[in-house]
Amino acid sequence: MIDTSTPLGRFWAGFRENPVAVAALTMVAAIVLVAVAAPLIAPQDPYDLGGLSLLDARRPPGHVGSGGYVHLLGTDAQGRDLLSAILYGLRISVQIGLLAGGVALAIGASLGVTAAYAGGIVETLVMRIVDLQLSFPAILLALVLVALLGQGKAQLVTALVAAQYAYFARTAYGAATAERRKDYIEAATATPLSRARVVFRHLLPNCMPPLIVVATVQIANSIALEATLSFLGLGLPVTEPSLGMLISNGFVYMMSGRYWISVYPGVALIVLIVAINLVGDQVRDQLNPRLHR
Amino acid sequence: MKLGKMLKAGAFALALGVAATGTAIGTASAQTLTVGVRGGPESMDPHYSALGVHADAMKHIFDTLVWSGDNLQIEPGLAESWKPLDDTTWEFKLRKGVKFHDGSDFTAEDVKFSIERIPVVTGPTTLLIYVRRVKEVVIIDPHTVHMKTDGPAATLPNDFVRLFIVSHKAAKDFSTKETAPDGFNSGKATVGTGPYKFVSWEPKGDLVLERFDGYWRGKGAWEKVVRKEMPNDSSRLAALKAGQVDLVNYVSSADWQALKRDPKIDTFLADSVYVMNLQLDQREQTPKVYDIDGKPLAKNPLRDPKVREALDLAIDRQTMVDVVLEGLGTPNNQLMPKGFFGWSAKVPERKPDPAKGKKLLAEAGFPNGFQMDLYCTSDRLPGDGAICQGLGQMFAQIGVKTNVNAISRSVYFPAQAKKEYSIFMNGWGTLTGEASYTLGSMAHSPAPELKLGAFNRIEYSNPKVDELLQAAGKELDDAKRKALYEQAMDLIMADRAYISIVTLQTVWAADKGKLKMAPRNDEDTLAYFITPAK
Amino acid sequence: MAGYVIQRCLQAVVVMFVMSVIVFVGVYAIGNPMEVLIPLDAPQDVRELIIARFGLDRPLWEQYLVFIGNVAQGDFGRSFVYATPVLDLILSRLPATLELTLAAVFGATFIGVPLGIWAGYRPDAVSSKTIMGLSILGFSVPTFWVGLILILTFAVSLGWLPAGGRGPTVTVFGIEWSFLTPEGLSHLLLPAVNLSLFKLAMMIRLARAGTREVLLTDTIKFARAAGLSEGTIVMRHVLKLIAVPIVTVFGLELGSTLAFAVVTETIFSWPGLGKLIIDSITSLDRPVMVAYLILVALLFVTINLVIDLTYAALDPRISRGAAS
Repeated sequence: MIDTSTPLGRFWAGFRENPVAVAALTMVAAIVLVAVAAPLIAPQDPYDLGGLSLLDARRPPGHVGSGGYVHLLGTDAQGRDLLSAILYGLRISVQIGLLAGGVALAIGASLGVTAAYAGGIVETLVMRIVDLQLSFPAILLALVLVALLGQGKAQLVTALVAAQYAYFARTAYGAATAERRKDYIEAATATPLSRARVVFRHLLPNCMPPLIVVATVQIANSIALEATLSFLGLGLPVTEPSLGMLISNGFVYMMSGRYWISVYPGVALIVLIVAINLVGDQVRDQLNPRLHR
Repeated sequence: MKLGKMLKAGAFALALGVAATGTAIGTASAQTLTVGVRGGPESMDPHYSALGVHADAMKHIFDTLVWSGDNLQIEPGLAESWKPLDDTTWEFKLRKGVKFHDGSDFTAEDVKFSIERIPVVTGPTTLLIYVRRVKEVVIIDPHTVHMKTDGPAATLPNDFVRLFIVSHKAAKDFSTKETAPDGFNSGKATVGTGPYKFVSWEPKGDLVLERFDGYWRGKGAWEKVVRKEMPNDSSRLAALKAGQVDLVNYVSSADWQALKRDPKIDTFLADSVYVMNLQLDQREQTPKVYDIDGKPLAKNPLRDPKVREALDLAIDRQTMVDVVLEGLGTPNNQLMPKGFFGWSAKVPERKPDPAKGKKLLAEAGFPNGFQMDLYCTSDRLPGDGAICQGLGQMFAQIGVKTNVNAISRSVYFPAQAKKEYSIFMNGWGTLTGEASYTLGSMAHSPAPELKLGAFNRIEYSNPKVDELLQAAGKELDDAKRKALYEQAMDLIMADRAYISIVTLQTVWAADKGKLKMAPRNDEDTLAYFITPAK
Repeated sequence: MAGYVIQRCLQAVVVMFVMSVIVFVGVYAIGNPMEVLIPLDAPQDVRELIIARFGLDRPLWEQYLVFIGNVAQGDFGRSFVYATPVLDLILSRLPATLELTLAAVFGATFIGVPLGIWAGYRPDAVSSKTIMGLSILGFSVPTFWVGLILILTFAVSLGWLPAGGRGPTVTVFGIEWSFLTPEGLSHLLLPAVNLSLFKLAMMIRLARAGTREVLLTDTIKFARAAGLSEGTIVMRHVLKLIAVPIVTVFGLELGSTLAFAVVTETIFSWPGLGKLIIDSITSLDRPVMVAYLILVALLFVTINLVIDLTYAALDPRISRGAAS
């Protein structure tokens, strides 16, 4: 049984009460698993041009290709097995979402907590920049940065991090300002512990709950943003299509009835984002102290 | 309320069928031609830009001295005839009785004014390249001008197909960098001799035109022409299907097969001027070719004719056309589309033979193949990115591991100009319809002093080819010049530093039975030459 | 208060100056526009002539000084692609974007807030769960995807509405508006719906969260205890208490939608600012990019300033705290 004496146990007990959230969490876990295992379970390596054949291009679902196996979801314009391409695309999306979300969390939370703890000029400067950036639409910032940095995974993640760290910084700052007034921080400050230690060992962990909520939302946002950038032609290279790229490449075939090239990656993308957001929603409700009075 | 009415109107129109939808929702009527175009002009000043889409729009309002026909053959325009008088003089006889939209007469003064205006007002996509050979314009009488050139300029008439003539009276005060855009965009200076008068224009928006009844070729069929800029291929086609526009250009290859079967749509197909060319760096050292494990090579394998032939043999051009372009192209074996001035029938047809390619690679010392980075544009011409990936697949068949980089033209061209690539592909449009333009830029060894080889980014150099091209450039006799270019073409294609793959084709689509048009090679959609079907 | 206003205005000026440097240097680094714009077949001498004519042969700092000098006189330069003054180009596109944005944000607010209040008021009702489910969908499904589906459904399959472009316009107060004609409205509908879905989801969630919190407060408990009708409680207290965050978000969204309209405008060929910026990025039209980004920055700095000052006016503690 669940041990409700630990915070995590109590959290899980609450989480279990919402069947939709549980289903969504299962879905997220399944997608992450599938994404990690993509090279093992995909029928084809969609990035190996030598393994593709143009003769298999744009075949409808169920077609048996030159590789001798059934293309369950059909093929794209280069003869890629769509199922494989989607699995690999999910891999890229999850990778980029986690990477961008993670780095943005690390940078943003450090900045926010430091600003709150340090106060004075540091606080003013950091939070002014953060506030200004928050009001600036992430898509525009990412767009200009991607144009500036060029194509590629690292560049894309950099752009996404730059566009998103501010959300974490703002949240961490808010939580940390409330937290630092509490007695234990005052007490820790009075001890000969180094300031960095106080910030990272004491202040930061106690700001985690709201940050986790923001993180789930931002991971979903990163994935959607990457898809949008790819759609606008500023994302990842065409030879390693992400879900957004698959959708955008396939869209030109929608009018002529070859819906599968665009629709299936679209469904995969939406399922992924919706599932993450559903989990995020439940987490938010549970971690919001104001709803548990 | 309004919305409900509108939806009802829409549903009602739907019940009446597609023809009725046009009148209920769109602005179409019998005397108006509404065209959905992929790209529009950059200004209303015809001398601002040399872009094809710019010229396409400008041809409605302005005329050129030399007209370029449906197949890019040159024909009399505002000039009735022309002939070289000596090595550095061309004489142009101007058409008499031609009126501008404001009623004034067209004379030699307007020609001189237009040519001299270009260097002052031209934008970055510069028209200078079409008049740079002209040193002086001398007016002999109101209908005769002499063009003094900086040397023998055999193709001057070809250069003039995008030289638009503006009224020297109307444009007098609007011919500096600052005043030109305002004068022309407002319509004050937008006075030409063309078939349509300017009404209004918005950048990236609609160009509205009204028929000019005094046009010298006789008045056009449409009273009003609206050209709507719709850059997205799918949206443009959707607008046609929804009856918002009567005609669209650049139907994508993805939609073409389905459209051909659509009973409500007529399609028109033409060869374009664009050929996709693979270009192989011929320098001693090249940056982006490696051995099979990715380590640098001592020398550039692309200099070995066997390697070049092997790569050529790997390419299955028919599959490229049938699958990648879904039929919207033709296999090609040389740098220009079939039938252009200087196109050679002697270049052998290229057939794929991967087995032989593999053998040649082994003979060249690469039994296990090698590795290379292939670069292409992905957003410039239809299918460029897809052809690039197709090439990657085909090269893999002969054991050449290819890393495909299909990238934006804004990244590709600067890097290509700096010669950062070893093997790359982009389209080249023979805009003038003849070989001096294409071969002179690409196949002559780089020679800035001769103004030749400016676009030879692979440092391809064949002394025999250089000799032929230089001779052709000075040859004023058409038949002899043609033979020289054909010989040059044979040699260039046999060297295989340039490997041509496909000629792209262009498709227009219109409401069934609405209109008749002769599709043009230069992809222009000229309302004057489009007539109602009934 | 006066001191606070001056302090914040000065900050805004400094921010704008820094932004202009960042934008200018950033756009400069993206690439040399001449490589893309000058025809491929142009010989070297023509190339150099054109580059010099646009002042691009000069060092970056010099180009920046010239630019700032001109901006001080209200001149943002001329577009490389269109030859026209950039400011004219941007202003001519502004009404289209503004119209689309206003339609989307107002639509989202007036539909989203009541739905959100309902969902917060009856969190366990089936209708509320449905609303929340749909809001998550609206939040998650990428805008471009919805746009494509809308076009395919309503323009191509059903033929009810136009697939793209802006309808005929009517000039009011010197500005051209398209929503005043039935045909213009029909053009506006799909893009506005497309653009508003995300905002709608956001407004629903915001209103719901606010309502749920407010319902737990003592104010509402007392109101209920006092026997006020539920309708009065919602209309008078809940709406009032959640109004501040909603108005704030409304303002911010109005701003960000102006820029986020990029995607919708691209799909629906809507001749607004978003399409202008995407086009100028692909053609490296530097003056347009710089002017657009600086104007957007100005817009956001102004919005921030207005919000700060409004808060300060509403809550005197803020300005006193800052001034002390």
